[in-house]
Amino acid sequence: MTDKTDPGYTRLDACRRFVESIRHSRELAIEVLDASEQRVTARMPWAEQLVGNPETGVLHGGAVFAFLDQVGGLANACRVFPDFEITPTIDLRIDHLHAPAPGKAVIGAAECYRLSNHVAFVRLEAFEEGREDDPIAMGLATYMRMKIPREQMMGVKTDG
Amino acid sequence: MAEALKTLIDACRAGEADYQRLMDRVPYARFLGIEVNAMGEELTFLLPRNETNVGNPTLPALHGGAVAGFMEQSALIFLLLEMGEPRLPKTIDFTIDYLRAGHYRDTFAECRVTRLGRRVANVHISAWQVRREDPIAIARAHFLLAEDPA
Repeated sequence: MTDKTDPGYTRLDACRRFVESIRHSRELAIEVLDASEQRVTARMPWAEQLVGNPETGVLHGGAVFAFLDQVGGLANACRVFPDFEITPTIDLRIDHLHAPAPGKAVIGAAECYRLSNHVAFVRLEAFEEGREDDPIAMGLATYMRMKIPREQMMGVKTDG
Repeated sequence: MAEALKTLIDACRAGEADYQRLMDRVPYARFLGIEVNAMGEELTFLLPRNETNVGNPTLPALHGGAVAGFMEQSALIFLLLEMGEPRLPKTIDFTIDYLRAGHYRDTFAECRVTRLGRRVANVHISAWQVRREDPIAIARAHFLLAEDPA
């Protein structure tokens, strides 16, 4: 069994492996940029197939929603690291502050600001790449903690 | 609102065009694979079982985000057709409660406009897989309606 303080891989490694195993997140082309105990950031490139308004080329709110849900899950994983938990979403609210510019990648950031025995509380934020000061969306989510004993986690590939 | 869209909405209402064409205008709706089932003007929406929408490969289960996107897009189309004079809705906020795991199978959604105001519309969306009474997720959303009628 690995030492709890040094599992032999970083939070960023774990997040990237996570996203790689999730088909829908691969379809969204999510790339994890940075992962610490406090905060995870990831990038979702603009893609024609994710457009919600064919006249303007603006990304669909649903794509931003799915992206942030995923980044929130990663924030939970980073908070409990190096332990492993499945954290299905209980509820999630996203406010769309303004539309992201067509063609621009979206950066998502998540912070698990409170971890209770059974529930993870997460704050979410999205902005256009290069415009960190002007969020396009803010969100708040709760996730259920389903702890997995370390012995079992070897066979488990991912969270949903 | 673009003239072509208004013409298409009118044709759908008159039973001369398939509601699916309204859905397929939106690239993200095609990405998820959303289908419209219409009985007259009564619409339900279908997210067919599709590998690209899987979130958890071990169960396997649908990605919660794909389910949310499906529900939001369903609400947008539903709302567009509820308005006498259709005006383009923009999502202000979207709130979802996940009630059950979304299994890797077909998912259905139906919508209800709670209130249609001059500027803001409230829509309730319910998604299920086996029985309508056992939703896998419920959501409510607010939409900002464009000022200019179509």
